[in-house]
Amino acid sequence: MGIQETPIVIDGVIYSISSGDRVAALDGKTGQQIWSYEPRLDPLTKKVLFAPYSRGVAVGHGMVFIGTVDGRGIALDQKTGKEKWQVQLTDFANCHGCNFTSPPVVAGDMLTFGSTAGELATQGKIFGVEAATGKKVWEFNTIKEDPKSWPGESGRYGGGGAWMPGTYDAETDTVFYGTGNPGKDFVDTDREGDNLYTDSIVALDAKTGKLKWYRQEIPQDVWDYDSPYEVLLFKKDGKDLIVHMNKSGYAFVLDKGNGNIENIWPISDVKNFVKDIDPKTGKLIGRVELPMNKETLICPSTFGGRSWNSGAYNPKTGLWYNNVLDFCGYLKPVAQKEDPKDYGTGHTGSNDFGRLVMAPDGRKPGQLSANDPFTGARKWSYAMDVPGFASVLTTGGGLVFNGDPMGKLQAFDAETGKVLWSFNTGSGMRSGIVSYAVDGEQYILVPSGWGSYAAILLPPLFPQLEQVPAASTLIAFKVPK
Amino acid sequence: MRLIAALAGAALVLAMAIDKLHADEMPNLRDPKVIAAGHELFLEKQCAHCHGEDGKGGVNLARRTLDAKGAFTSIAEGREKNGIRMPAWREVLTDKEIWEATAYVLSISQAGQSTN
Repeated sequence: MGIQETPIVIDGVIYSISSGDRVAALDGKTGQQIWSYEPRLDPLTKKVLFAPYSRGVAVGHGMVFIGTVDGRGIALDQKTGKEKWQVQLTDFANCHGCNFTSPPVVAGDMLTFGSTAGELATQGKIFGVEAATGKKVWEFNTIKEDPKSWPGESGRYGGGGAWMPGTYDAETDTVFYGTGNPGKDFVDTDREGDNLYTDSIVALDAKTGKLKWYRQEIPQDVWDYDSPYEVLLFKKDGKDLIVHMNKSGYAFVLDKGNGNIENIWPISDVKNFVKDIDPKTGKLIGRVELPMNKETLICPSTFGGRSWNSGAYNPKTGLWYNNVLDFCGYLKPVAQKEDPKDYGTGHTGSNDFGRLVMAPDGRKPGQLSANDPFTGARKWSYAMDVPGFASVLTTGGGLVFNGDPMGKLQAFDAETGKVLWSFNTGSGMRSGIVSYAVDGEQYILVPSGWGSYAAILLPPLFPQLEQVPAASTLIAFKVPK
Repeated sequence: MRLIAALAGAALVLAMAIDKLHADEMPNLRDPKVIAAGHELFLEKQCAHCHGEDGKGGVNLARRTLDAKGAFTSIAEGREKNGIRMPAWREVLTDKEIWEATAYVLSISQAGQSTN
């Protein structure tokens, strides 16, 4: 499945994870392997929908932590890679294969894990575990027990998985997670309620898992517009704020203390699923519903206005850099049979994830966009013939690094968007670029290796992607002094 | 002796593989009813997710020259190639159903188009 991680580098050592949850520690100067570890995965991982990739590791307390695609948390000795503990967290065989495709979050002395769910016939869970021992301390169910929110039995397979890493705020000992879409993705006839806490930011006490507050971004979602993307924390004008991108392409600016809305802005005008979202109340205005057995054009597509690859914020420019997706898809909900032993079919109410098409106005399908994170004002953008699916990096030296699915890696001037440098890495990028220093020299580390569902689903609209070779490579560049 | 044992072992493995492949009745893969049943499964199990409703999706089947044994095995056992993974459907689908899906897949591939 290519390489989908954002590596972590600490004191000149790279901690990296690739397909099959294989972990390696590498010398940051030479790339030489220091140690490696590969878990023996449950054979059921060959059948489940989400496997065998991971988006990264977490490091803390002298340990490297991973969440596995068979629903375990595993801790490794940071120096040697030897296993310290492991704990089975998800009921893997009985939750339609719910598992971890992202790393946990080091939250003080706790470790928190968010599982997959939305496209699985299950409920999403966030787990709190003692980092030192792996002992499970708490479990938060992202599906609220409320018949008004979930009529009848609809909450039973409500989805809402927090499948990307959350953000820990040490100041308030709070872990913020974005939750995923409700199930079935495209059919809401049996769940006519707001479907809490799907498509929401939830603020949890890191020690107890108690819910401090929530802000739902997309109530009663039928377009698969999850909220699991990164939560950014800011201090601005005396306020503690959160900035968070929902998959729809709308960014939510919230009060960190209570989730109150400060502003909501769209990163692109390629959107028709609503006329707008009220920037003061969050109300969806002019929803486009999906009739059964009929195709409806929805913008943005199920890849969203941006995919799970994160943006990057530069405090010197005050700009947030994101790979914006400007294409659409036809969605067609259908009746779907339930089969508890079928781990491979998504609980989506559809036969596929939509027929992708270019934006109605024919514009280029992607852009690297530089925006004010609070107002959305765009400073510059760089149009792309193939949209970007890599996590962006921006540096203190005034650069922005971005890679595209064809393998082109570019460096931009962070203030102006001028292209300064380009390099062909040989395979597409679906991962996070990072920067680190060893012996006073700055390195840029680029995972290159096309894979993920993007590799499978994009070629009908972008046939050039069929030629991109598979890979799983880390490439290190040195920035001249 | 060692060579005989090795040959015997290989023959046993091959026999078991053939048994596994023909574990259930293999239908007429050109029968329109079998192909139609396979089409239903193809949609129900979201094969269109990767292969497209007409086989011309991200993992294009329409351009491929497939054979029955290869298609059956891929569906039953799953496969990983070029950074892309297909789940295994054995024990989720019966062998009869896997044959039906095989029939549909063959009908939309080059093999199916060349007999039309």
